[in-house]
Amino acid sequence: MAYLTGYQYYENEGNTPEELNWGSYQYLSLADVVNNFMLMYVGNDKLVNNVHRYNVLFHAKRAIQELNYDALKEIKVLEMSICDDLKLVLPPDYVSWVRMSLFKDGSLMPLTENIQTNYAKSYLQDNDCKILFDESGNVLIGTSLLDYDRITGQARDMYLGDGSMKGQTGYNVDGNWFFDYTVEARFGLNTETANVNPTFRIDKKSGVINFSSEMADQIIVLEYVTDGMEDGDNDEIEVHKMFEEFIYAYIKYVILTNKVNVQEYVVARAKKEKTALLRNARIRMSNIHPGRLLMNMRGRNKWIK
Amino acid sequence: MINSVRNTVLAVANKQNFGYISPSDFNLYAKQAQLEIFEEYFYRYAQWLAKQNSRLSGSDYANIAQNLEETIDTFSKVSPLTFVSGDDFLFPPDGYYINTLRYNGKEADRVSNGKILSLLSSNLTTPTLAYPAYTLNQQDVTVYPAATGATRSIVAQYIRYPLDPKWTYISLVQGEPIFNQSAVDYQDFELPLSDEPEIVSKILKYVGISLRETELYTSSAADDVEEQQKKG
Repeated sequence: MAYLTGYQYYENEGNTPEELNWGSYQYLSLADVVNNFMLMYVGNDKLVNNVHRYNVLFHAKRAIQELNYDALKEIKVLEMSICDDLKLVLPPDYVSWVRMSLFKDGSLMPLTENIQTNYAKSYLQDNDCKILFDESGNVLIGTSLLDYDRITGQARDMYLGDGSMKGQTGYNVDGNWFFDYTVEARFGLNTETANVNPTFRIDKKSGVINFSSEMADQIIVLEYVTDGMEDGDNDEIEVHKMFEEFIYAYIKYVILTNKVNVQEYVVARAKKEKTALLRNARIRMSNIHPGRLLMNMRGRNKWIK
Repeated sequence: MINSVRNTVLAVANKQNFGYISPSDFNLYAKQAQLEIFEEYFYRYAQWLAKQNSRLSGSDYANIAQNLEETIDTFSKVSPLTFVSGDDFLFPPDGYYINTLRYNGKEADRVSNGKILSLLSSNLTTPTLAYPAYTLNQQDVTVYPAATGATRSIVAQYIRYPLDPKWTYISLVQGEPIFNQSAVDYQDFELPLSDEPEIVSKILKYVGISLRETELYTSSAADDVEEQQKKG
């Protein structure tokens, strides 16, 4: 891509959106990756020859996908309201979640993923426990009790929960409340479930996140990673420049490793190069600044008790 | 060059009293010889690239592969393809090999017919206007992705076949045709001058077969082999 003038960069030459090119210099487009690779790494006198551009395109996209999963740290953030069904449909470009937070009273409260199953598919059954089918022979499916209890707030939770009774179900006998275990501060607290915020569990196959009942009408902030494919728009796909050399090395390696009659030492060399470049790029992306370290180290003289 | 080639061929053939070669016969042999040598360029080029990668070739004047590439490039032509129907465009009638095909200015990728369906089905590789593709079918070039005819421009850079050489003459004077370079249908060889000895050898080989002269055929065939070996 050609270099931009100041006017193009700051104001997109008077076009909208004005911010189109802001920060674009950090990134390398997919078109540049493919073109540069075809030009510089493919040829009759190169290690890689007789390779179709679609091969390079495929491996370039795969490399970008892999980088997006962990190394790139390109995290997307989505804010949504949770309605009464306590369900959040995963964003269309969702691949995996990084952090889920409840946004309440001006602060972000990180949510914990529930280790208990909180959703289920329920087959309808008759009185004899026989499964019911429709006229096409498909099993009839209804709302599971597990889901119903969760949505209506009746499900017992192993997490501490909120409120005076910590969300626990008790028994009222003669005006006194009794619980299965101590509600207040106690010895031997299970720290794994010591959480008062609402919980969630991701139903990957159904493409939804199910929340506990406290999340009704609350705001959720989902931080997630995508694969960087920008909904299939090749013009939008880009990668950080710190990974440029790694991408070339990755494409070279996967092509060489899949070609017949390439000497093993050549493949090994390409692999080593790819791995080293990924390591270098990750270190660069970790962005360790002396200023930030200084801030962290300020706590070293703090009196703990 | 064509007159020089014909004179040499006639001189060799007549010296041995092998017989006379008519202009029309000569033109047929010339066309055949030129095509044969033209085709050999590509094989030689591939061989020289292999030698180059084995470090058996040098740079500058010793860069034979580059020399051959330049020769092949003299047959390079850039031309828009004629629309046929649907996504099909006519393969250039004089085309030997399509080197690059540009779809609205973007280079299209040549994909084999066995792969195109898989390519179209893949989310990562499906052809787009940024990364177009094409397949070859008989006389047609099919381009992907489909687009409306008005917005499409398909331009090919290809290697064309050399034009058929034609030794033209005016009239017969005492039984001898006189070479006429200004005839409308005159066409010289399109190969470089350095290939003249090989053209002569090849034509003499055909003349030997035509006249059933084993000696002429054998000697010219041996010359031909020697020429080829020299060029690698």
